[in-house]
Amino acid sequence: MVKQASLLSQLQAIVGADGVRRDDELSNFAVDGLTPQAAVAPSSYEQVAEVLRYAHTEGLAVIPRGGGTHMHIGNVPGRYDIGLSLLRLDQVVEHEPADLTVTCQAGITLDRLQRHLGQHGQLVPLDPAWGEETTIGGILAANASGPSRHAYGAPRDFTIGLKVVTADGRITKAGGRVVKNVAGYDLCKLYIGSLGTLGVIVEAGFKLAPTPKVERTVIATFDTPGQACAFAADLQHRRLSLRAVQLLNATAASAVGLAQQGLCALVLDLAGTPQAVERSRREIGELAQDAAADLRDEENAAMAWQSRMRPGSAEEPYLLCKAATLPTHLPALIESLETVAGPPHILALPTVGVLYASWPRLEDAEAAIGRLRTAVTALDGSLVLERCPLDIKPRLDVFGDPPPSFDLMRRVKEQFDPKGVLSPGRQVGRL
Amino acid sequence: MPNPSLIRDLSRVVGRKLVLHEPEDLLVYEYDATIERGLPEAVVVPDSADQVAEVVRIARRHNAPVTARGAGTGLSGGAIPCDGGIVIVTSRMNRILEVDADNRIAIVEPGVINQDITDAVSGHGLYYAPDPSSQKVCTIGGNVAENAGGPHCLRYGTTTNHVLGLEIVTPDGDLVWLGGKTVDPPGYDLTGLVVGSEGTICIVTKVIVRLMDCPQSTVTLLAIFDEVDQASHAVSAIIGQGIIPAALEMMDRNTMRAVEEAVQAGYPPDAGAVLLIEVDGLEEETREQADSVRAVCEELGSRELRIGFSAEDRERLWAGRKGALGALGRLAPSYYILDGVVPRSKLPAVLRGVYEACDTFGFQVANVFHAGDGNLHPNIMFDERVPGATQRVLDLGEVIMRLCVEAGGTITGEHGVGYEKRNYMSWIFSEDDLDVMASIKLAFGATDLFNPGKVFPSSKGCGEVSSRMKAAIAKVGPDAYV
Repeated sequence: MVKQASLLSQLQAIVGADGVRRDDELSNFAVDGLTPQAAVAPSSYEQVAEVLRYAHTEGLAVIPRGGGTHMHIGNVPGRYDIGLSLLRLDQVVEHEPADLTVTCQAGITLDRLQRHLGQHGQLVPLDPAWGEETTIGGILAANASGPSRHAYGAPRDFTIGLKVVTADGRITKAGGRVVKNVAGYDLCKLYIGSLGTLGVIVEAGFKLAPTPKVERTVIATFDTPGQACAFAADLQHRRLSLRAVQLLNATAASAVGLAQQGLCALVLDLAGTPQAVERSRREIGELAQDAAADLRDEENAAMAWQSRMRPGSAEEPYLLCKAATLPTHLPALIESLETVAGPPHILALPTVGVLYASWPRLEDAEAAIGRLRTAVTALDGSLVLERCPLDIKPRLDVFGDPPPSFDLMRRVKEQFDPKGVLSPGRQVGRL
Repeated sequence: MPNPSLIRDLSRVVGRKLVLHEPEDLLVYEYDATIERGLPEAVVVPDSADQVAEVVRIARRHNAPVTARGAGTGLSGGAIPCDGGIVIVTSRMNRILEVDADNRIAIVEPGVINQDITDAVSGHGLYYAPDPSSQKVCTIGGNVAENAGGPHCLRYGTTTNHVLGLEIVTPDGDLVWLGGKTVDPPGYDLTGLVVGSEGTICIVTKVIVRLMDCPQSTVTLLAIFDEVDQASHAVSAIIGQGIIPAALEMMDRNTMRAVEEAVQAGYPPDAGAVLLIEVDGLEEETREQADSVRAVCEELGSRELRIGFSAEDRERLWAGRKGALGALGRLAPSYYILDGVVPRSKLPAVLRGVYEACDTFGFQVANVFHAGDGNLHPNIMFDERVPGATQRVLDLGEVIMRLCVEAGGTITGEHGVGYEKRNYMSWIFSEDDLDVMASIKLAFGATDLFNPGKVFPSSKGCGEVSSRMKAAIAKVGPDAYV
């Protein structure tokens, strides 16, 4: 174990005095209640590499972070010595509008990148919540996505290249800057969602999308999630100009004022060319009439998504789960999640097969989590506890039982990070 | 010499008839759609994942490398057994095991032909999107290995965007599922890692593919230009308009000439290039986009525009493009197809460089490619019977690949690195980059068991050094290689 004083002076030699965070700032770097001995914010890839070389030599555990909006995802770290902020690496590296691609540093916030691209009528098709704070690197490490996943897919689908600093401090790249590339193993896939356990993402490149010419939002309300899901499936099959389809259960819908008590809400974001959006809106209207669903237009779509993602945003939910299942199993999954514990807020992406369920409070959480897992497993789904009370979190694997390919995952982690320097213990099976 | 006990062990798994080891049988499996060749010691045709796993365990015991092979249509030497050993042919594993139309997924065996998936699900209004030109014969297993693309990948992505899960045989001979029917499985995305790994870390025995809803309306436009330069500027301009067509293909004069003779597509003999542009979606959307595309092409000097709305008309417009590679046979006895990618905005300059390089080397070239992706396919015309021609064509290929890399591009967009381009890898990846990739092989425990000699740089030639290969050549006789 390195003494803190020596640790600080070593780090200061690498990142300079302005790159080392003060002691009183360390609590901002806490992960699951663990506070590091030191925290740094390097201003170059080389500095990131040097910090890792040092940590690797000394066997110190490093946890990279961006805006800190997704740090709750993952198991309790096994060790934590150095907090590594990427926030000072926040530049657009290359944006050639005619190529419809962008390369940026990991620490740029999503909103800043979108503002830059928006000036050129383009966007990176990412919309997880907290865009003003969340960074590109963090989004990729956490494989975070938002409702527009319906139209654009997940980060793995449009990330074309990454620069990654390895556990032993080498600056490496995966992929490239062109939209189609099959040279070598597709390591981008491996790093996306690795939660900082395989390398530190310092730069990323994306395929972009043109900003839709027209956008509008309509909200349909239904008695049951099953009706809403069937409606969504029908719209998907018709390939209407939809960017996002979100379902809020009755509890979530009434909490944000989207539906009357007892009704669930289907929020439909339309986007595309003017006539196509117009026609989609018309068709949705007709279908809603057939389905006897109430339909209304919503003015401020962007704000609505923000508030939807954090119902009761003043305080964090006690428990937040992400579940994935087959789209046809979603209604059954929602129903069982609503009955196994207290009433959850549920936000689902019915055409994708993902839902987020949160409980503001929960009696006997451990037993309730066991029941949630049973319910999800019965529907061939997966369940990740994204936010979990710290008094029980250390006893759980938030990802559930390791998957059948866990042995291969363990061997990948051993190859990439033999000394356990990077976010040790945070991945499935405490990798 | 093939080891009799290896043949015996393999026969025990799949039956004697499905283990090929006679020289005349093996010759059929020494090549794919590239120039390189390599002879296996034995070819097995298993019928199930369990049999594949058993074959892998036997191969390990006999220290024989294993190369998986689908239809052999690969364009980077991926299916060539460079170091001899066993070739596993997936042609009997061609069952579509499950179609779940409501959830838009299908589970298929690796030997299923790409087009057969679409044919099996089209009754539900669904299709499988990646469409390599060989889709009527190529297999999903090969598509997964190479992360195959195709004209419609511009809008819908390549194979990797359409694979949710894989059952694989590991180098230990274990059957393991990666991913599954649902999205975002916990842990590392090993499915994404295996797609495009070119058969070097595992053998895929089942594939869960994502299906898509058929578009309501599709419009195809064919724009004829006097000059290649005008056409390649139009490519950027269309994308710049905020339109991402489903497909955006280009053919140059030489290609058109060959196509014209073969399928009489009605291309004017003095035209320099055509663009084939397809937009799909709602009828309103395709109309609006087709109008914008037309305006862009006209503004950039397109001399003639044809447009197809009906399936018949669209097919006619596509006929030239789809028949292009076959038609090139009319220009020369052989052609060498290259696969490079450049940023779209660099297309005009790189294309000029390609023509200049071909002039310098004294070869004709026909360009037919996925312009919207910046994915070039220069086809170099040559006669391999002319002494030294093959080597000069390969040298020219290297020059063209350099042009792509210098323009900020890459050495392969959809055909794979394989044997052919393994030594170009160090142009775009540092030793550290390649070292990280190599650690994947170590993690899987694959080292040289699966498809040795591929992807990673090496000075070893295909079938050159190995004593195993020498024995195989001695058996078939040197004439086999003339």
